[in-house]
Amino acid sequence: MRRGIAALVMLTFLVPVAALGVGAQGATIKIGVPVPLSGGNAKMGDDIAKAATLAAEEWNAKGGILGKKLEIVSFDDACDAQASVTAAHKLIDAGVVAVAGGYCSSAAIPASAVYHDASVAFVADASSNPKLTDQGFENVFRVIGRDDQQGPYAAGFMTKTLKAKRIAVIHDNTVYAKGLADATKAALEGMSGAQIVFFDAVTPGEKDFSAVLTKVKSLNPEATYYTGYYPEGGLVAKQFKDLGVSGKFLAGDANNDPTFISEAGNASEGVFVTSTPLPQDQSTATAFIDRYKKRWNQDPGPYSALEYDAVNVVIDAIRRVKVTDRATIIKAIAATKDYKGATGTINFNKKGDRASVLYITYIIKNGKFVPYGVS
Amino acid sequence: MQIALQQLVNGLTVGAFYALIALGYTMVYGIIRLINFAHGDIYAVGAFLGLSLYGLLTFLHIDNPVLTTLLALVISMGCTGLLGVLLYRVAYRPLLHARLSILISAIGGSLALEYGLFLIYSPSFLVYPHLFGRAGPSLGSIQISWLQVFIFVSSIMLMTALYLLVHRTKIGMAMRALAINQDAARLMGIDVNRVIALTFFLGSALAAFAGVLTGLYYSQISFLMGFLLGLKAFTAAVLGGIGNIPGAVLGGFLLGVMEGLAAGYFSSRWKDVVAFAILIIILVVRPRGLLGERVVERM
Amino acid sequence: MAYRVALIVAVVLVAVGLPLFGTPYLIDVGTLVLVYVMLGLGLNVVVGYAGLLDLGYAAFFAIGAYTTALLMVRYHVAFWLTLPAATFFTALSGVVIGTPTLRMRSDYLAIVTLGFGEIVRIAATNFTFTGGPEGVYGIPHPTIGGFVLRSPQAMYSLGMAFALLVLVGGYNLARSRLGRAWLAIREDEAAAQAAGIYPVYYKLMAYVLGAIFAGAAGSFFAVKLTAINPSSFTFIQSVTILMVIILGGMGSLPGVILGAAVIVILPEGLREFDKYRMFTFGIGLIVLMLLRPQGLWPSRIGQIVRRAVAVSEASAAGRPP
Repeated sequence: MRRGIAALVMLTFLVPVAALGVGAQGATIKIGVPVPLSGGNAKMGDDIAKAATLAAEEWNAKGGILGKKLEIVSFDDACDAQASVTAAHKLIDAGVVAVAGGYCSSAAIPASAVYHDASVAFVADASSNPKLTDQGFENVFRVIGRDDQQGPYAAGFMTKTLKAKRIAVIHDNTVYAKGLADATKAALEGMSGAQIVFFDAVTPGEKDFSAVLTKVKSLNPEATYYTGYYPEGGLVAKQFKDLGVSGKFLAGDANNDPTFISEAGNASEGVFVTSTPLPQDQSTATAFIDRYKKRWNQDPGPYSALEYDAVNVVIDAIRRVKVTDRATIIKAIAATKDYKGATGTINFNKKGDRASVLYITYIIKNGKFVPYGVS
Repeated sequence: MQIALQQLVNGLTVGAFYALIALGYTMVYGIIRLINFAHGDIYAVGAFLGLSLYGLLTFLHIDNPVLTTLLALVISMGCTGLLGVLLYRVAYRPLLHARLSILISAIGGSLALEYGLFLIYSPSFLVYPHLFGRAGPSLGSIQISWLQVFIFVSSIMLMTALYLLVHRTKIGMAMRALAINQDAARLMGIDVNRVIALTFFLGSALAAFAGVLTGLYYSQISFLMGFLLGLKAFTAAVLGGIGNIPGAVLGGFLLGVMEGLAAGYFSSRWKDVVAFAILIIILVVRPRGLLGERVVERM
Repeated sequence: MAYRVALIVAVVLVAVGLPLFGTPYLIDVGTLVLVYVMLGLGLNVVVGYAGLLDLGYAAFFAIGAYTTALLMVRYHVAFWLTLPAATFFTALSGVVIGTPTLRMRSDYLAIVTLGFGEIVRIAATNFTFTGGPEGVYGIPHPTIGGFVLRSPQAMYSLGMAFALLVLVGGYNLARSRLGRAWLAIREDEAAAQAAGIYPVYYKLMAYVLGAIFAGAAGSFFAVKLTAINPSSFTFIQSVTILMVIILGGMGSLPGVILGAAVIVILPEGLREFDKYRMFTFGIGLIVLMLLRPQGLWPSRIGQIVRRAVAVSEASAAGRPP
């Protein structure tokens, strides 16, 4: 009896497996959206998937493209190399014509090889590590800037605008944060007068960074740049203030999330955040934000607008070539010219990176991200 | 010198959290030889319950920060304690004699708790109200807040109370008897299941205490917060000698201080390597941890 | 019994049919099952045969993967030639972690191996020559003669060859002199020692062989994924491998295969449940254990011995404090 029950339980688990293979080519045009839906980055993944769905729904309301409806196929990549490769295979199996999404660079890089082997276009929306496009895959594009563009910008801001000489850089040993930290360090080393007094990593998932910050304090920095993600960023900013470390505190573009401010509380006042302009500060994005809020009843996440553009770049390419052949779509995306998206004008360079990305600095004032100066 | 003292304060604060959670690991291990993988997540549940309670109390217009904090602590500890007992009843009790299967059941429990929080609350990071400021006793340039003082004092008091309970009361004697020999204890008329349930209750309540304080002190909580801390607390329990209550406390504070010193004087990104290397060396020299006694191996 | 035969036939049919009829995704899932079969068989030597609880097994997996990846990418060594190197380094690391720790009892051993696993992962993240958090990417596909093993079918076949080798190795080990010595030590170390079996030597052998199996799995994993980074070798990975063998049934080879299939396919199958996936997986683990505490396919030798031990434990009254 017990064995019978056990077999039954196992069968129940295996039933969905039978459904796995189903669903190849159909009456819809499918666009794949791999995002983290479990683990610590699940919130970001959710925001990204919602933006993709919105883009597809808007075209469907207009009757779809090439006479077919669009369908977003979204799978969990858990920000993990192995899971993202599996998700990539599953997307290809599901018959997606192109892929637009991804969050963590550590997941996007291995998955890009799978898309490459299957000649599927991959438009990354949030993966900014330089290696992604440096691999030389012709099918890989991104709508976000590269860490080695933001790094020099941040270095310049600290040394020129803030006139800081002694600079501490803290990352969190993730692919993105280390990449940005390295790029910043490289840029600072090329500047006369700037001195890196501290360069080390904290551990993501921890909450107490007072030991590191006490060490930073003893080095009397004039500026401290944190390049990790906002969950730890808010805590680092708070403990930075609490311990009375000298100088300004700056954070990279994974910190432009309201949670950063609510975590740090009053300690967030006066913190600088380097970033591409947030959607609300771009005239091109206001319409998108309104529609997103109306559809999902919540504010868009920091990468929602980029994902919206990534999906639309794919749709735009399909509309231009009027076929859904995967290889043709890759060429069409590469030929994207002055696409007017929510995040501005989009062109791709030879590597697949977005040409001319603008970085600005925000300062947190009265609990809000306010553009600093005018750039 | 100032820096060194500050690092000591930093390490002891982290250590207090490690110690509170390590106690749950060590008590459960001492009695049923189970590495309760779900214990870290019990701590997370305590933190989330605390957040809900703050919300509820604000809704009821109870605004005194001290009163709300005490209520949140006590209610969260009670509810989380019961959850620990429930977990034992459902997932562990039927498997008490299957030493490795119970480990998988514990991992299942851990995932279910984590993603239960994920579903009920949110996948994103939640923020506690900022109730207590940075004010604290003035000790030169050393930064310490009253909240930190409260964390130290209250956790030391709870640990002492637990120690007295285990070593000075009848129920504590039953616990110790159980740890030595379950069958013999049963023959002596001890209600084994009740004693084990009580152990789970106490361990879970202490974890909930740590959970609410984490929310208050660090302000940020998330459904995965128990994983890393649970791992560290387990390490602390082993360092002190698993199954031993003063050992867990010593291990917790020691691990916190070691990490703080490693991050402060060596390198933050190598601090876990330093901590684990010291742990391995200690275990090679003292195979049963710092205060561990000889225990009979049970497979 | 008929239930077991039917299962074996089904597994073989699926294993053979998959590359012929499966979609690339299903084949990829199948390949992942094979990786966990290799890892499970290796850990089975350590935990199932020798009775040493290891919570840092992913470290050996990592060392194998990094050896192959670094040799192929930095020094352009052919895949096949990296295998002896991976074997050497994993065996060496087995000795390094094994020697000082083998006198410890199981739960202390568990935390020491856990620490070792974390040390290896953090070191791989911190060192520059291992590629830091980005790891190693652009790992070439292996070739046989002029033929490049690129397609999912080819990777699956390569994985199957590896898994079969490991399976044969595991099967023979259990029945060898070593296997009998491990069984003796696992069940009663003092008695085994009295009978002239030197426990430390045999335990070390279990470590080294288990490490080599994991190294082979790692080498394969590196070329399968073409990009590896430290986040694939976390504590969770070690626990997942442990789940494979306990779910399947300790010490049992068919159990390991079944366990690997469940651990990979269950979360994949639950993808349709979207948000509820991991929650359901957790509940599923508890339910499976409650229904089959000895695993899905317990080893029969283990069962008999366990029964005997249970009897002797029950009869042994007061133990020394």
